[in-house]
Amino acid sequence: MSEAPFILWLDDPTAAGNPLLGGKFANLGEMTAAGFAVPPGFGITTAAYRYFLRSAGLQDEVRRVREAAPGLQLSDIKRETAALLAGITNAPLPADLESLIRTHYARFEERVGIMNVPVAVRSSGESEDLAGASFAGQYETFLWIAGADALLAHVRACWAGMFGEAVLSYRQDGDTVISKGDFAICVGVQLMVSARAAGVLFTLDPINGDRSKMVLEACWGLGEGVVKGDITPSRFTVDKVTFEILKRQVTPQTEEYRFDPAAATVRLAPIEAERQHAVCVSDDHVRALAALAKRIEAARGAPQDIEWAVSHSGDVWVLQVRPETVWSRREQTALVTAPKSPVAHVLTRLSGVRVTKPSAAPEKP
Amino acid sequence: MTKGAGNKNSATQRGAELPHAPTGRFLSPFEMVAPKGAEGWESLYPYYALISAERRPMEEGKFWFFDGMHNPEPLYPFDTIMTENWWVAASQMASRVWAIPLALGIDHRIINGYLYISPNAVTDLNQIAERQEHFGKRAGYYFENWDKIYVEWVEKAKQCIERLKSIEFKPLPDYEHETHIYSHRGLYSSYDLFVSYNRLIENLFEMGSYHFEMLNLGYGAYLTFREFCQEAFPGITDQTITSMVSGIDILLFRPDDELRRLAELAVKLSLTDTLLADGTPDAVLRALAKVPGGAQWIAALEQAKDPWFWFSTGVGYTHSDPVWMTDLRFPFIAIRTYIEELRRGKEIRRPLKEILETRTRVTAEYRALLPTNQDREAFDGLVELTRKVFPFVEDHNFYVEHWHHSIFWSKVRELGDVFVAHKFFKDREDIFYLHRNEIYGALYDLMIGWATGSEPRGETYWKPIVERRRAIRDSLSKWSPPPALGVPPASITEPLTIMLWGITPETIQEWLGVDPAAAGNVLRGVAASPGKATGRARVITDPEQIYDIKDKDILVCRITAPSWAPVFPRILAAVSDVGGMMAHTAIISREYGLPAVVGTGYATTTIRTGDLIEVDGTAGTVRILEEVAR
Repeated sequence: MSEAPFILWLDDPTAAGNPLLGGKFANLGEMTAAGFAVPPGFGITTAAYRYFLRSAGLQDEVRRVREAAPGLQLSDIKRETAALLAGITNAPLPADLESLIRTHYARFEERVGIMNVPVAVRSSGESEDLAGASFAGQYETFLWIAGADALLAHVRACWAGMFGEAVLSYRQDGDTVISKGDFAICVGVQLMVSARAAGVLFTLDPINGDRSKMVLEACWGLGEGVVKGDITPSRFTVDKVTFEILKRQVTPQTEEYRFDPAAATVRLAPIEAERQHAVCVSDDHVRALAALAKRIEAARGAPQDIEWAVSHSGDVWVLQVRPETVWSRREQTALVTAPKSPVAHVLTRLSGVRVTKPSAAPEKP
Repeated sequence: MTKGAGNKNSATQRGAELPHAPTGRFLSPFEMVAPKGAEGWESLYPYYALISAERRPMEEGKFWFFDGMHNPEPLYPFDTIMTENWWVAASQMASRVWAIPLALGIDHRIINGYLYISPNAVTDLNQIAERQEHFGKRAGYYFENWDKIYVEWVEKAKQCIERLKSIEFKPLPDYEHETHIYSHRGLYSSYDLFVSYNRLIENLFEMGSYHFEMLNLGYGAYLTFREFCQEAFPGITDQTITSMVSGIDILLFRPDDELRRLAELAVKLSLTDTLLADGTPDAVLRALAKVPGGAQWIAALEQAKDPWFWFSTGVGYTHSDPVWMTDLRFPFIAIRTYIEELRRGKEIRRPLKEILETRTRVTAEYRALLPTNQDREAFDGLVELTRKVFPFVEDHNFYVEHWHHSIFWSKVRELGDVFVAHKFFKDREDIFYLHRNEIYGALYDLMIGWATGSEPRGETYWKPIVERRRAIRDSLSKWSPPPALGVPPASITEPLTIMLWGITPETIQEWLGVDPAAAGNVLRGVAASPGKATGRARVITDPEQIYDIKDKDILVCRITAPSWAPVFPRILAAVSDVGGMMAHTAIISREYGLPAVVGTGYATTTIRTGDLIEVDGTAGTVRILEEVAR
């Protein structure tokens, strides 16, 4: 057994940016250390994942699948991974690992003061930071998991998710990403935020790359619908400097993702009539989220794509941060046609010639 | 490019050629019919200000828009001196003085008593090139020497005001004053009266010329900076752009600052009960004189008055706009509002340090967002230049429209008194029903009567004319001028047109799309100050009506004048028919942090007092939620 810990709290001093937590959770460790409101939790590290594979004797099978991945048709994947997935689901967990997870969950219950505390269980892959690959939405997320047994089952599900169709077929620049290395996965366990509204926030305008704007997409309930794309969110464009809300496109919403106690699961449920046409986030919350996002961007030194939630009590939570990968990689070109004295700029302008190149400015949405 | 003039059917073709050019056209100025009771209104105005049948193709082919910003009401014949002044003074700067390559002057017409204006563009390429050469040298000189020229400008303006103050009008004496005999001057009261009138008119045109000496260039620099920001940060609001360059201690805020100080002094001297008691300002002042500390407060008021109370409650272009100096109602309303705020423990001083810190931070943050060093250099240069020119842009209003013009109107009233003394008029205000050139005639008539001993014809001639004109003007004031007439231009190149009136292809298209008769319940305009508010509308079409404003009203007017600032603490939001982002008011609306939508075109004709309306100063919309009975 290596020295690497199997479990790491998000607020552990070594969590910030720690690769053992995978991309997503290492970022959240960083956010927690920087004082942002991240739901508390812990990561079952990549070391734990590797330890499980070793003790279950699944390493060779993993290598075989990974190497085969680039040649696989989508229709072949299921057949090709069946044995591996069965192994991950059924092989006994090493006793020390299982007990470690159970004791941490118990400690978590104590920390938040709730028995069977509902948690969100998310995969956090090592490969996420690879060459800017976002892997957005490719890995598994399980919401409202309560109790240690359920947690253990979903940890396995996350591990198995490493070999799902989406991940095995995820390509970047024509290459199958999964075949590029021996990527492991961390399983993040976080306090479930019962969201009144949630969504994503880009610290630039994703439509034209304009870095002076932030675009917030929001929906009623949990943010899953915005991420998955089965709910059309309301959209707010905010000035990054002044936090003025420049544009509001409010989309009526008839269903939201929320926890259904009867079914003991999160599902799409109808929204009562009076909320359907109402705006799901107040202007104050839009501005608070924008201010938060601006600080996150400054802390991380590049445009970010942020998942957030507002709880029923109105608290704002950061659920996920990752670097924006489309516009940030483009080279920025100069706006001005030619360097000139300011007076010359004005004289030229009043003669009918603009200061900026028409093509250089971000496209107007 | 198709030229607009005389080509009635070109609108759609032009639209096809230039995707952003507005399509369609407005009613022809020839289709405007005099409102009932106003027949013969043309006689109130000089021939050259009227639409002329013999130049029909030109008149009809031009784009005329209503200048409600300066003249929301039908013009008084005398008051045309203001519009006639800038017809030349502003126009000559673009056309002949700077030779701005693309812009000539701004033409004027009076239609049913209302001022319509039309910018002239240069389209000939050779001419543009020729003008460019003059322009670069001349405007370049002014920009390079701006600070020095502005210091001199302030001196010129103050001297002009001093000379204006020294002009006196007195009825002619029964016997010529002895000093005129024993000094063998050879010139007498009749000559002095004539000269005083000449000086008065010259003095107005002198200040009128200074008014525009630096204005086009100031706006030009701002326009360049604004456009750069809009390209670099698409969607950035005008108020944010302005906040990066506008001054924090501009003169226009001084009168209001004086009122805040007087409110503080009233609290300090324990005079608040006396000041808050019901009664006219005169009654309050009488009461104050009798209480301890009252004399000190009155002395402070008197000290603040000159020059700060030479402050018009309108834009200064109309004699009828009350001036604080002669009508204390407005400053008293404001002082009472501030006293009430102080009693509630509110801070009433403007947070200058905070405003300055915000300006510094906002500018630095936008700068950091620019893609390259070259862009940051251009931005820095434009910020610096615009900040250099902005004190003039912001402060000239106080020197010209408030301080000078308010005194000017008071001088015209003095002359009115002379005519009353000589039985030409019943009331001093009647003088405003005569055009300034008619006054030359009347004055000579008066001098003849005085010199010869005959009854001057003016004693019987003018009174019925004044009455007739009063009735005509009253009828004209009930007419709602459409925002535009004629054929929209393919593009707008004149900087003042864009900056001051907010006329862009988009506004024109918006106006074209609105049928005023069937206007829906949403009005669109320029988002002048962000935020949202819902409340009852108070429609103001006459400056007198501002005293009717109640707490939590939404002000709806043709134009919000900057000097209405003192009512702003009472209202929830402001809406106007006319104005762009630099309309005299927009700055102050933002200063008060109230949502404002300007340039809606039809707010005062669509909305009624009492309607429940929602103002979205961020989106630039006004929604009628609930109508009172029509």
